[in-house]
Amino acid sequence: MTIINISIPFGLVKDIDDYSKIVNDILKHDITFNILKFSTGSAGINLLLDIPEEKVSSVTESLIKGNIIVNKKGRVIVDIDACIDCGSCISLCPTDALHLNNEQRLEFSYERCIGCLLCLDSCPRYAIEEM
Amino acid sequence: MTKTYKEINEKIKNGNAVVLTAEEMVKYVEDNGVKVAAKEIDVVTTGTFGPMCSSGAFLNFGHSDPPIKFEHLWLNDVHAYHGNAAVDCYIGCTRMSDVRRFEYGGGHVIEDLVAGKSIRLRGNSYTTDCYPLAEVDTEFTIDEINQAILCNPRNAYQRYVCAVNSSDKTLYTYMGKLLPHYGNAHYTGAGCLNPLSNDPDYETIGIGTRIFLGGGIGYIIGEGTQHNPTNQFGTLFVKGDLKKMSAEYLRGVSYEKYGTSLFVGLGIPIPILNEGLARKTAISDEELFTDIVDYGIPRRDRPIPRRINYKELRSEYIDLNGKKVKCSSLSSFYHARKIANTLKEWIQEGTFFLNPPAENLPTDTIFKPMKQTLKLKFVKDLKKKAEICYEDCDIKVVAKKIISENVNHIVITDRENNLKGIVTSFDITKAIANEKNDLDSIITKRVVTTFNDEPIGNAARKMRQNNISALPVIDENKKVVGIITSEELM
Repeated sequence: MTIINISIPFGLVKDIDDYSKIVNDILKHDITFNILKFSTGSAGINLLLDIPEEKVSSVTESLIKGNIIVNKKGRVIVDIDACIDCGSCISLCPTDALHLNNEQRLEFSYERCIGCLLCLDSCPRYAIEEM
Repeated sequence: MTKTYKEINEKIKNGNAVVLTAEEMVKYVEDNGVKVAAKEIDVVTTGTFGPMCSSGAFLNFGHSDPPIKFEHLWLNDVHAYHGNAAVDCYIGCTRMSDVRRFEYGGGHVIEDLVAGKSIRLRGNSYTTDCYPLAEVDTEFTIDEINQAILCNPRNAYQRYVCAVNSSDKTLYTYMGKLLPHYGNAHYTGAGCLNPLSNDPDYETIGIGTRIFLGGGIGYIIGEGTQHNPTNQFGTLFVKGDLKKMSAEYLRGVSYEKYGTSLFVGLGIPIPILNEGLARKTAISDEELFTDIVDYGIPRRDRPIPRRINYKELRSEYIDLNGKKVKCSSLSSFYHARKIANTLKEWIQEGTFFLNPPAENLPTDTIFKPMKQTLKLKFVKDLKKKAEICYEDCDIKVVAKKIISENVNHIVITDRENNLKGIVTSFDITKAIANEKNDLDSIITKRVVTTFNDEPIGNAARKMRQNNISALPVIDENKKVVGIITSEELM
């Protein structure tokens, strides 16, 4: 399974029916999937979906057609000066964007981050911030 | 082949002591064997850098004019303990700021102090004939006070558990953020570099042992609190001069919804006096075991799904009941290694010498649980009969039952006594106000429940957290066996 982070912009969902339609559109790809996180933010509704790897491109394509934003890029920044390389955040990162390098220091691979924000409140040094 | 402290110190003085870190020692013994290692290696250095909640510092400010005897005092709004002479205090790392709460605590005060930052001191007094001043509000840096002594009653656990969470909600603990349904795992400790794991019988570790502490020099002053050697959970009581330490190895931390703590850097040099110590210091991550503990059960004795070694813990994913669980450390191996290497350099440079302990740490003490004179009460002791209505009944039946039984909560079940929801007298009032007549639309279906053997305090916390006043009691088959309401708890 692969995790993707989607934003449904304000206005696109007015009621439960609009929301159901979006979920049904994903189900049309003949998959079962998990909604790992549902949140609302300044950009609209934010969903973290866990979908089968082989369906990522087709699901992404149809979501974009429906004016839904698929965030591929990361949404956090790590303040390396404040970081003490403890690793508390690593177990929470579903894509290994946060990991230890060979020297056992924390490294953040921006391109792997999907902005799930699970790590945000895990850092004992407040070194992880939402962009 | 045996060596003495004197012989080893002589070599350190002459600059020809052979020193390895405990990580390097694993490989060395693997390649050369214990006999050669015992002969060739003089000292093995260890290190650890992790959150150690039983840490704090004694400070002495000198006397004000006119003098004050503190009754209460705060350092950067963190309450410090005063129960000694006039201007002594103890700042504990888990005490949180009165103002910033979880964001800043005693651990941060210690880090800021060591970093040379100015600290605000506020204090008050009931005043005496010899100490007439009632209030102080001033600022100071570490160089401007008399003593600053790091004094930690429990540091450097020999090993610690690996935490997981079986419950259905995210837990915020001193073991970090634990995702539900075994979503992740956290452990602490530096494995093969862990100080006490490298001398598990405390042959060379005891009162007076000179160590690396917070980037400076410290001493072991006894066994730590909760020292539990029979279960390989030994701990250390340590002290050292804070003025000579470094903020790199003393870091204030905040754990979400738990509180503050202090990361302490600590390293112990182990003299290789005999073959036994050469063998013990060669212990690898693979040979060091700890327990996986389920923090989803809020009791002292939590379930232990299985034992695990540090090699698996450090491999990023662990296996739990066939599930691949992402695992990471709460303590920094990078810094643990750096501490062991720094200590190694100090010894090689001839600036750090080893000394035999005045007294070895006890190897036979037992860690006792708290004696609680009030018998722990469970939900089963206080629950009452649940007033039940079926899910397909009329809303009026529920209303009548509330009146006839004089209760505020009606538990809704199916015919097999399976929990379906809960309805309160307020729900009925709301239904009337909104002209709703079907029961289904007013039932609360996501019900927070409890069970017979849950301690009352835990049930009360559930009510408080969810802002509710009753919990249906269910058995292992999710059948309703009673109800407990806030009235029973009063």
